[in-house]
Amino acid sequence: MPKRLSGNHVLYLIIVGLLGWFLPGGGYFFLNEKKRAIIIFVTIALTFFIGLYVGSIGVIDPIGAKPWYMAQIINSPLVALLGHLTAGGGYPVYGRPCEIGQIYTGVAGLLNLLCIVNAVYLAHTGRIGTSGN
Amino acid sequence: MLVLSALIMATLTAPEEIGTNPQSMVWLLPIAAAITVIYKATKLETIEANVFFKEVVALFGSIVVFLIIVALALYAFTWLVIE
Repeated sequence: MPKRLSGNHVLYLIIVGLLGWFLPGGGYFFLNEKKRAIIIFVTIALTFFIGLYVGSIGVIDPIGAKPWYMAQIINSPLVALLGHLTAGGGYPVYGRPCEIGQIYTGVAGLLNLLCIVNAVYLAHTGRIGTSGN
Repeated sequence: MLVLSALIMATLTAPEEIGTNPQSMVWLLPIAAAITVIYKATKLETIEANVFFKEVVALFGSIVVFLIIVALALYAFTWLVIE
């Protein structure tokens, strides 16, 4: 179990949160909850990629679908790179595939937000490293 | 690795064909499963394979049953209105 940064608890929580954002499950991995981290990473990555497979990278649209984009970017900052690619409108997608792709990628982001909040909470309360190894 | 990345990217540049039909409702199953797995992964005190699997199956089943009940209720309501 990683030692807490003495006298710098807030920084410790920020690191856990950022790790969870950069890589789904990263916050839990840092807290030595490896099983939990792997389950979360695989599930969120798979959900996100199913969304991209169904709707193409065109479902990440920072201009035309900003609310969805705000949910999608919680998956990882790397989503911003895809958003940069699609911002010019080069990957148009409409109808049911767009709908399903946006739902999958957006929900994956919101699930990651749940995991980030939970990892930060665990780090704050100190109930870590007792399970999931 | 670069070729593999390019191939993966190429498969993600065009959308799949999914019609607006009752069969497309099956797409709710994978997302329900994902929500269930993540919820249980965050809520369970300890992660043990058999307990985790049982909990996930129970929650997934109850979500799907609830969705079916809601769908049937909505179908019955629209049938009453239309007929």
